[in-house]
Parts: sequence; structure tokens; C-alpha cells
Amino acid sequence: MTDAAHLYNMGKLHAARAETTEAFLAETGPELAALCTACGACFDACPMVDHLGLRASDPKSTTDGLRRLARGEPGHADTISWVSACTKSGLCVAACPESSSGLDAMLLVRIAKQRALNDTGQLPVKQDPTYFPRLKVYARLQLSDEELAKWL
Amino acid sequence: MALGADRITFWFGCNMLRHAEMIRLSIMLLERAGYDVSAAGGAAYCCGTAHDHQPRAASNMAARTVARFNEAAEKDGRSTVVTWCPSCHMHMSDIMAPGNSAVFEVTHITELLADCADRLAPLLKVPVNRRVLLHRHVGFATHVPVNDRVVGLLSRIPGLELVEGPVHPGHMCSALAAVPGALATAAHDTWTAAVAKHSDTVCTIFHSCHRELSALDGKDNVRIRNWVQLIAEAMGIDASDAYLDWRKGGAPDIAAIERADQSRYHALVEPELRKPPPLIAAAQGMVE
Repeated sequence: MTDAAHLYNMGKLHAARAETTEAFLAETGPELAALCTACGACFDACPMVDHLGLRASDPKSTTDGLRRLARGEPGHADTISWVSACTKSGLCVAACPESSSGLDAMLLVRIAKQRALNDTGQLPVKQDPTYFPRLKVYARLQLSDEELAKWL
Repeated sequence: MALGADRITFWFGCNMLRHAEMIRLSIMLLERAGYDVSAAGGAAYCCGTAHDHQPRAASNMAARTVARFNEAAEKDGRSTVVTWCPSCHMHMSDIMAPGNSAVFEVTHITELLADCADRLAPLLKVPVNRRVLLHRHVGFATHVPVNDRVVGLLSRIPGLELVEGPVHPGHMCSALAAVPGALATAAHDTWTAAVAKHSDTVCTIFHSCHRELSALDGKDNVRIRNWVQLIAEAMGIDASDAYLDWRKGGAPDIAAIERADQSRYHALVEPELRKPPPLIAAAQGMVE
């Protein structure tokens, strides 16, 4: 039972590169896209590809769509399907031949998905307005007044 | 990692609020390991990871949470934030910190406890005679070798026998729920392996896996336990599990429901508690 490969840096966080996370993501998308060669290795390594029935898709074309989305341009249909189903398995990170150059493939997919939601409109927004209200009910079912006051 | 001090913030996230006992057990384990713990979670400490469709709101949530942890570090000496949730941990590492100036370090609870396992080991005196299959995902290993860390901790428990099982995609079960069939496949594969290997217990690592699998507790004489519950058992501490009991047909007592708001309980919580478990839902052709 061994975790195959972990690239973590325990404890230390990255230094801030932007004033906000929104600005960081806006700046980082094109930067990661510039590092990506659309070789398709991340797509090939992704375990969700089989779940989606995308194994016959062209990895290079699909990952080219990843670059496009990260720049704010529309992506291919297969790319949209793929990024929408990212479950953060992280196998793309180790598979990426450009990782040593600073390409975080999982972050690139994450940004591409955000672009498809917010910029190109290729993914529908799914909101759950009951998310936090439901958790509040769970908290009040179980936590003491002191825990509610101190933890939340 | 140089912790420097024993004062920590335990950031348990949002969805752990379903599992109050697991929050309390985590705090207890950290305290027994020698840490002074301040717990934080819920909407006021949201990482923003579930709000990709609202980048400005997510950014504001992240800034607020980082500011609170900065304040805890600067004013209360809590310079380490200990995470439970892999989504929170990865979001902090990959997005929140690069977009905000953070003056604290982050580590996962399994890392911290594994680092001081020698301090916990003498407390694990009660044999836990279980044959345990660990329900694992591949994902979080990019940041923390969590599967190895939990195996290391469980291997300290007298009487407990670990058996190999499958490793599933994603970082935890909630991620799979968005992909049709993926969650049911993971649940099926875990269960099939547990039965084939004569396990009597499936051990979850994360809350969302516990949430999804808890309704299966007792099926084929296999019990569902989280790793903190198994460690607590080895310490002779009762590890009750209200959420699991509710998922199996129980319900909170009426006073708790009234305290939480009866109408909201019926509208928001009861449907989740009565939802078929993923194995059953898949067999019935229901969407997860």
C-alpha cells in the first residue's frame, strides 16, 4: 500500500504571486498554457477518460483545447467533457513532461474548467443554494452552543 | 517541517459538520499528541473551492479565510494550520496562498499524527480485532501521501489487520459523484474487495467517503469506520457515529431537530439521510 508518487512540499506554502486568488488564476492560465505542448500525456494518464468514454479521442487535440481554454478561448467538445469531469486524481501532474518547467497540469485543468464556466460559457453553472444552509442544520443538530461559538 | 510551537489551528472544513464526533476525535488525537488545538470550519472559513463559477466570491472567501489564519498566527501563535479536507488543503496550497499573503504553514492531520506516532503508540492499548480494508483514492498523493500515513497509523493498533484493496480515482468520493457511474463503481469495487478478502471493516480516510459508504454499514457483516474512530477504539474511547446511525434509518432526537429548525431539517437533511447508498442506487438504475 504505497502512494505512487507525491510531489508535496510539506508545510511550506507558495509565496503570494498576486493580490487575490482571482488575479492569480487570471494570470496563471495563460502562463501554464504557454508551458503546455499539448502532448496529450495528461489526458492519457487520466482515469476519468474511461468513465467518460473518451479513450478514442485524440489526446493532442483534447489537450490543445486545454491550452485554448486556459487562454480564455473556446475549447473542443471533448476537452469540455474532460475538464468538467476532473476529480483531482492528480495523475496528470506526474505524467506531464513539462512539470519540471513549472507546469502544474491539475491546476491547468482546473483553470480551463473555470474558463469554460465563466468565460466561454461552454459549461453550465450548477449552483446549490442549499449547500451552506444544509451544513448549518447539521451543525445545529450536533454541536454544543460552545462549539458553535468557538469553531464556526 | 519545523512546527516551532505546539499551538495549531485545526481547519476541519465545511462538510465535516456532518460528522461532529470525527471533529471531536481529531481534536482529541491532536491534543493527546501534545498540541494545543483551536478548531475552525464551516462557512466562515470557506476555502472557496466549491465556487469556481463565482470567481470574485471565491476570491473573497479565500482572502477572508487566509486573513483569519494570519491573525491566529500573529496574535495567538498558531503558525500551523492543520487540515482535514483534501479539497481545502489543495486549494490552500495551489490557489489561496499564491493569491494571498499567508504567514502560516499548512500540514495535514495524518502527516502531523504520523510524525508523532511514537507519542500516540503507548496510548493504543486496547486490541481492535478487525480485518480492515482501507478505502483509498489516488488523488491527494500529489500533496500528501495520505494513504501511506493512515496505513502507518493503523499499523500501530494492536490486533488490527490491514488487507490490500483497490485504489480509486479522484481525491475522495464526493469528486466522483459528479461523473455518472464513477461513485457506484468505486463503492462496488471497495465492497467486492472487502467481501472477497474476508474483511469485517472498511476504513474510510475522508468524510465524503464515510458519508457515501456509511449507509452500507452492516451489509455482508462489514462495518464502516473512519481511521480516527479506529484509533479512538484502540485508546478505549467510545467512538459513536450519529451520521452513520441516521443513514441506516435512525434520526436525531426531536430536541436536536427543533434546535436545528424542524422545517429546515425535513427540507435539507432528511432527503440526504434517506438517499439510497451508491451500490443500491446503481442497481436500481438511479442517478447518483
